[in-house]
Amino acid sequence: MIVPYSHVLALAGIVFLMGMVCTVTRRNLIMILLGLEIMLNAGALALVGASLRWMSMDGQAMALFIIVVAAAEVSVGLALIVCVYRRTGSVDPNFTETAAPEKPSV
Amino acid sequence: MNWMAFTPELTYVAMAAVFLGLSMAREDHRRDFHTALVFSAVGVGVSLASAGVTADLFAESYRVDLFSQVFKVLLACGFFLVVVLCNELSGVKRRLHPEFYLLLTTSTLALMLLVSSVHLLTIYVSLELSSYSLYVLVYLRKNRPRRESTVVHYFLIGASASAVMVFGIALLYGSTRTMYAVEMARVLPSVISQPAAAIGFVMTLAGFFFKLAVFPFHFWAPEVYEGAVNQLTTYIATASKAAAIALLVRLTALGDSSAALAQVLVVLSIVTMTVGNVSAIVQKDLKRLLAYSSVAHAGYVLIGILSMNPAGYAGAVFYSAALVTLKFTCFMVLVKVAADGANITVDELAGLHKRSPILALALMLSLFGLCGIPPTIGFIGKLLVFTAAVEKGYFTLVLIAMINVVISLYYYLLVLKAAYLTEPKAGLPPLPVSAGDRLLAGTLIVLIVGIGFYPDPVIQIARSAAAVLL
Repeated sequence: MIVPYSHVLALAGIVFLMGMVCTVTRRNLIMILLGLEIMLNAGALALVGASLRWMSMDGQAMALFIIVVAAAEVSVGLALIVCVYRRTGSVDPNFTETAAPEKPSV
Repeated sequence: MNWMAFTPELTYVAMAAVFLGLSMAREDHRRDFHTALVFSAVGVGVSLASAGVTADLFAESYRVDLFSQVFKVLLACGFFLVVVLCNELSGVKRRLHPEFYLLLTTSTLALMLLVSSVHLLTIYVSLELSSYSLYVLVYLRKNRPRRESTVVHYFLIGASASAVMVFGIALLYGSTRTMYAVEMARVLPSVISQPAAAIGFVMTLAGFFFKLAVFPFHFWAPEVYEGAVNQLTTYIATASKAAAIALLVRLTALGDSSAALAQVLVVLSIVTMTVGNVSAIVQKDLKRLLAYSSVAHAGYVLIGILSMNPAGYAGAVFYSAALVTLKFTCFMVLVKVAADGANITVDELAGLHKRSPILALALMLSLFGLCGIPPTIGFIGKLLVFTAAVEKGYFTLVLIAMINVVISLYYYLLVLKAAYLTEPKAGLPPLPVSAGDRLLAGTLIVLIVGIGFYPDPVIQIARSAAAVLL
């Protein structure tokens, strides 16, 4: 392995922290979802690095699964955000104060 | 590969496929209910039939043994009972009933996969499958103010927890070279002094605890319990709790009985039951009260798990079966009283003994069971768990647990007082209780008291299920 494992780990750690900061500080559901995806990708990166370190395929398999699960998460999350936006007209996670009264839905 | 060992799961895959088709067909909520009833009954039968199978599937990442099969039967029964309650599913739009059953089925499938998982990948995938189904299910409730905020908080907390867990798993794999839980339990003590391994371990555990709503990560649970449809809350309080207990028991049993882990679990157990019981006292909404009571019961189950002896594991298995029975009985009464699908407060139970004597009796016995008053199934569960802990010398822990039981008696009796002694303000009509409901309530009463008197067969099953873990 040309790149040492510690470097991969450091990179993954930085990416994970970036995702976490994005998730915690943003006030927009779509950006929060993006932050979550970045955190998941950091996990996949660390797994691929570890897989190369041990020369075994377990980490690679897990990374593939994470990509699939992340796609499922985005589809559930975006569907939710679209529904929420239609009903409240806002993508702010603290919309409790601004929430419009519940409209009779179709 | 031995497909026979996988039949219970395949049954639920088939059921999910059928409901996927039905969700695209014409709207007919009676047809949906009857289909779900038939399939979930078949599911119970198949799980019972495959109870004795043992196998290692999918490159040994999936273990089918007596322990997992006992929990699968429990999950299948829980799911069947929840479907029975869906007879009047008035909290969900009729058009969405097939989707409700579809997601409930995939969630049950995921919990069944979870109790058999012994590899971090299978644990991760099944946890995610179960949570994604629940996110959408919580949103399906109609006419609920602020349900957006409930479901968005639930989704964001759950998704962040799984991201943290994935990174923790990656760090653990990077330091231990394996993803099999057995191997990892063996290698981990030698590398835990490395910062990466320690951080990874903590992150993975935190992710699990968030997902399973164990203290100190339980604070989303009451909001979700309150915001979900009554039937779904029943499901979360029974089936998904049982699967969480199963996963904890299996993971703890894999690790050799280390004193450090036991100390952590002692603290968690004490805090969990105290917080649960004290918060439950002030609750007005019956579902929130039962949510906090579930938190407290998780603490009692932890006592059995942290004893780390066969008696403790058997006690935890028995206790989860008792919890499913007792919690389901409480929620059945709640669903029947709240016929329009709304949430009810404790005071709204007033005059229940006149409106429907059999439901009031079922409520009384299940509350006695949850307190641990003999002769009920709940008493035997507490007895098994506490004696296992005393055998290992945790006297103080059991004493604190007993004090907690007394605290819990207070709010359970408040509910009983509302049902039996308080007179309703206006003369409420008798509850319409059908013959099927009577039969169900009667069966549950017989189970609660009958197993309380003759617990031996169930204890034997729990013992042999726990024996395969060691």
